[in-house]
Amino acid sequence: MAFEPLLTRNVGRPGSEAIDAYLASGGYQGLKRVLREFTPEKFVEEVKSSGLRGRGGAGFSTGMKWGFLPKGREKPRYLCVNADESEPGTFKDRLLIEKDPHLVLEGIIASAYAIECNLAFFYIRGEFHQGHRIFQKAVAEAHARGYLGRNILGSGFGLDIIMYRGAGAYICGEETALLESLEGKRGYPRIKPPFPALVGLYGCPTIINNVETLANVTLIAERGAAWYAAIGRPPKNTGPKLFCLSGHVKRPGVYEAPLGVPFLELLNEQAGGMAHPSRPLKAAVPGGSSMKILPASKCDVLLDFDSLAAAGTSLGSAGGIVMDTGTCIVGALLNLARFYAHESCGQCTPCREGTGWLVQILVRLERGDGRMEDVGLLADIAGRIEGNTVCPFGEAIAWPVDSYVKEFREEFEEHARRKACPLRAAAGR
Amino acid sequence: MAEPRSCEPRFSPPPHQPNVPAPGAAATGAAPAAATPGAPATPALPQAGPDEVALLIDDRPVVVRRGATVLQAAEKAGILVPHYCYHPGMSIAGNCRMCLVEIEKMPKLQIGCATAATPGMVVRTNNDRVKGVRAGIQEFLLINHPLDCPICDQAGECRLQAYEKDYGRGESRFVEEKVRFPKRYDIGRSVLFDAERCIKCTRCVRFCDEVSRSHELALFSRGDHAIIGTFPGRPLDNPYSGCTVDVCPVGALTWKPFRFKARVWFLKNVPSVCAGCARGCNVNLAVFRNRIHRMAPRPNLDVNAYWMCDAGRQSYDSLYSRPRFERPVVRAVPAAPRAGESAAAARPLRESPDPRAEPASLRDRALDLAAGLLREAARKGGPRALAAIVSARLSVEDLYLAKRVLGDLAGVARLAVPPHEEGEDDHLLIRRDRTPNARGAELLGFGAPSAARVREILDDVAAGRVRGLVVLGEDLLAIPGVAPAMVERLEALIVIDWWRSPTVDIAHVALPACGYGEFEGTVVNCQGRVQRLRPALRPPGEADPAWRILRDLGRRFDLTNEYAAPRAVFDEVAAKVPAFAGLNFSALGDLGAPVPGAPAGGAAGAPAVEA
Repeated sequence: MAFEPLLTRNVGRPGSEAIDAYLASGGYQGLKRVLREFTPEKFVEEVKSSGLRGRGGAGFSTGMKWGFLPKGREKPRYLCVNADESEPGTFKDRLLIEKDPHLVLEGIIASAYAIECNLAFFYIRGEFHQGHRIFQKAVAEAHARGYLGRNILGSGFGLDIIMYRGAGAYICGEETALLESLEGKRGYPRIKPPFPALVGLYGCPTIINNVETLANVTLIAERGAAWYAAIGRPPKNTGPKLFCLSGHVKRPGVYEAPLGVPFLELLNEQAGGMAHPSRPLKAAVPGGSSMKILPASKCDVLLDFDSLAAAGTSLGSAGGIVMDTGTCIVGALLNLARFYAHESCGQCTPCREGTGWLVQILVRLERGDGRMEDVGLLADIAGRIEGNTVCPFGEAIAWPVDSYVKEFREEFEEHARRKACPLRAAAGR
Repeated sequence: MAEPRSCEPRFSPPPHQPNVPAPGAAATGAAPAAATPGAPATPALPQAGPDEVALLIDDRPVVVRRGATVLQAAEKAGILVPHYCYHPGMSIAGNCRMCLVEIEKMPKLQIGCATAATPGMVVRTNNDRVKGVRAGIQEFLLINHPLDCPICDQAGECRLQAYEKDYGRGESRFVEEKVRFPKRYDIGRSVLFDAERCIKCTRCVRFCDEVSRSHELALFSRGDHAIIGTFPGRPLDNPYSGCTVDVCPVGALTWKPFRFKARVWFLKNVPSVCAGCARGCNVNLAVFRNRIHRMAPRPNLDVNAYWMCDAGRQSYDSLYSRPRFERPVVRAVPAAPRAGESAAAARPLRESPDPRAEPASLRDRALDLAAGLLREAARKGGPRALAAIVSARLSVEDLYLAKRVLGDLAGVARLAVPPHEEGEDDHLLIRRDRTPNARGAELLGFGAPSAARVREILDDVAAGRVRGLVVLGEDLLAIPGVAPAMVERLEALIVIDWWRSPTVDIAHVALPACGYGEFEGTVVNCQGRVQRLRPALRPPGEADPAWRILRDLGRRFDLTNEYAAPRAVFDEVAAKVPAFAGLNFSALGDLGAPVPGAPAGGAAGAPAVEA
C-alpha cells in the first residue's frame, strides 16, 4: 500500500521548520478554512466524526474530550499542549516539534478555536532545548504573520501561547502533574475526578492534548473529517500515526503509517528488519516502555488501539522497542524498573515504595542472588501497585513487570535456579 | 506513702486515633435485612432528604449530607475505613491509598477519602479484594520503615502499628536494604524529625500550608527517596508547630518536651481546657503518676477544631517550674521581705512537728485569722477599707464564690480584675487576652478586666484608704508599679494562690490553692462558651480549690450553703446569674455550651474554623 506521508510530509525538507516553507507547502490553509467555515461547536463535531483518538497514550476520542468542557463561560478555558515526551523509546513528538512546528501550531490554533480558548500553554520537556528554541521561533513567526494574537486572520478569534519548559520529570507528562508543574508546584498528579475539563489549570476548564494529536487536527482542518476517517482501520482506528522503533532494529527511527499497519511489516519493510541477522526477534513492546511486552510468537499484530488491546497490550505512545535473542529479559526489565523507580514522584504509597522494591529484587536476580520465590514476588508486587495508585504511572511499571514475568517466566526462574544471568554466563561475563 | 496505684484506668480515646467504633460495631441505622438462604437480600435504602444521599456500605444503609465522602459516610455508619493521609481539618491528599474501597460499577478500587457518596452507591469496605490491597499498602509502608517501635514515642498510638495489627499480613517479604534517611533531624524549635519513620502522608506539610499558614515544610526528592524537609534558614517554627506532631500518624515527628517522657499506654487522657488564653482550646491532659506529661488538642469544631498553640501546649510547665506552698502561711506583721530576709521568713502555721497531725485545724486557724483581720480592717476603716484583686484565671465557681463571700458577706466594696494581655489576636486561635475566664468574670459582674480599677485600688492602698486587701490568684507584686513598700501599710493582706508567688511571702495569711489540672470547674472563653476544666492531678499538701477556700472563709461570715462540689456552685450560678440561665453542669459535657447571655461578639468571638 502506497501511503503518502501526512504528518511527516515536510520532514526532511531543508528549512522545514520555517514558516515560509510551511506556507509554501500549503500551510495554514486548514486554519483559514476552519475560521471561515466552522463555528467552534461545528469543528468539535468535525473532530468527533473524524474518529481522532489521542496520540499521547490513552487513545481517548479527542472530540469527546473537548465535549466534556462545561457549557458556562464563568471562567476562562485553557488548552495545554503536552510536549513533555519522556517515555523511553518514544521520540515522535520531538520530530514534529523540531521539523514541522507550524503543523503542530496550526492544530493548536484550530483546537483552541474549537474549544473557545484564548490562551494556550505549550509544556515542553526541559531537555528539548532545540525543540524549545525552534517552537518559540515558530510562535514568534506566527505572531508576526497574524496566525496568533488578538484577531487571527480577521476572524475576531484571538490566541496567545505561553511556552513553559519542564524541569526534567517524567511524571510531568501525566496530564494533571503537568498542570501542577505549570502552576509552579511540585509535579504531583492530581486525584481524578474532577477531570481537567472541569477543574484544570488554575482551577479553570482545561484541555490537555498531545503534540501529535494536535498535528492530526491540522490534517482534519485541511481536508475534512470524512477524508480523515477513511485513513487507517475505520471506524475506530482512523488517521495516520507516527511509530517509533528502537532497539535491535536495523534502522531505528520514526515511521509514519496509517493506524492498523502490521507490526512485522513496519519492522521488516520500513525499518529494515533486525539489526543482527543472526539474532532474530525475541520480543517487542509495540506501545512503549510502559506497555505490556509481546513475545515474538505474538508479534504478528496490527498496530492500532483495538488490535493491540485484543493482543493483550496497548498502543500507548507507539514507542516500539524491539529486542532480539541476545536480550536478557530480566536485564531489560531491570533497566526499565530503574527508570520508573527513578521517576516515581513519590506521592502515593504503592508506586513510591513498590518501584524501589522491584528494582532491588531484579538487581539480585540479575546479579545471581535471586531466589525462586522472587519471581512470584515480582508479579505480586506489580499486582499490588496496579490500579491502586493516584495516576497511571502505577500501571506503567506494573504492566511491564507483570507481562515480562508472565511471558518469560522460565527465564526469570533460570536466573534464580542458576544463580546467574544465563546470557552473561554464556558470554563469559 | 507511695501514691496509690490506680486500678481503674480512665478510658478516653487517645488523641491521635479517630474516635470511631471498631469494625463490627452495631450500626446506628437499620440493621441489615435478614438474609434469605441462597439469595442475600439487599437492604432497602432509607429515604434521603433533599440535601442528603442514601447509600449502602457493607450492607448498612446510611444517609449523609450531599458532598460527604465515602469515608465520612462509613464513619457515620460505624465503619472504620483505615487511613493515614486523610485528616478532617485539612485538604484531601489521597496519597496513602489505605482507604481504598470497592464501589459497585467502578472497576478500580476508589479512595474513600476523596470519593463523594452518591445516591444508591453500594460500597464494600471489607471484602477480600479490599483486604488484600490494604495488606499490600501496609507491606509497602513498612518495607523501608525502621521498625524501631521499642524506642519510638509514637508506639502505642501509631497508626502503622494499629493498622498492621488489624489489616497487615504480619510479616514482610522484604529482604533488601532499606532506604536510609536522616534520623533525629532537628527540624524546628520544638519538633524532631525521623525521616525513616515518615510515610510521606504530607499531613504536616498541609498543616503548615493550610492551617498555620507558615509554609515551612515541603517534600523534596522523588520516589522512595522523597523526604519532608524545610527550606534553608527556615526551620519549622510557627506558633502551632506542635500540631504537626499531633497530625503525624506515625512517629516521624516528635515533640521535644515529650520525647522519652512516658510510654503512651500508661498515660491517662483527661479531657480539659487549656487555660493559656481566652480561646480555651479543648485538650487532653496526659497524666502518669500524678504528673502531666503532655497536653494535646482535643477536637472541638466550635472552639479550636483540632489544634492548639505551642505556648498553650506547654502551659502546664509552670506547674513544675514555679515553687508551690503546700500549707497555709501566716505572718504576724505585714512586711515586705527585707534584705537578708528570704521567703523562708514567712512562717507556716504549724504547731506539731508532724505535718499531718491536725491538718484541718491548721487550715481553720488560717481562715479564722484571715476572717478576723478582714473584720478588723473593716471596723477601723469603714466600708471602703476592703478591696480585692481577683484573677480572670479563676474558674466561674471561684469567681462566683469570691463575689458572694467577699462582696456580699465580708463587705469587700471593690473587686477588680487585672488584665493580662500580650501581643495580638492571630488568624487562628491565639487571643491577646491571656486569661481563660475574663468573659466569665464579666458575666458574673466583675466587669471587664481593667488596669484602671486595679490602679485605683492600689492608689487607695498606698494612701492608706484601703486597709484590707484580698488577692485571688494574682501576684500583686508583679503588677506594674507595685512595690512591696506600697503594701506595707495594709493591715490585712490575704492571698489565695496556687504557687508561692512573692506576694504570698508578704501576705498576712496565704492559703494554697490548686494549680492547673488539679481542680474541677468551668471557664467561659472569648466566644462566650462555658467549658469544663477537669481534675487530672492530686493537689500537693493542703492545696484546695479556690472556691472551697472561699466557701470555708465564707463560713466565717455566716455563709450557710454547703456547696459540696463545683457542680453545686455552677448550678446556683445558672439559677441566679441571668447570663448563665438554663445551663446545667452535667449537660456541659466534653464540648461545653454557649452561655445564653453572652452573644459571641466580634472577630475575637468567631469560631476558629469555618465549617
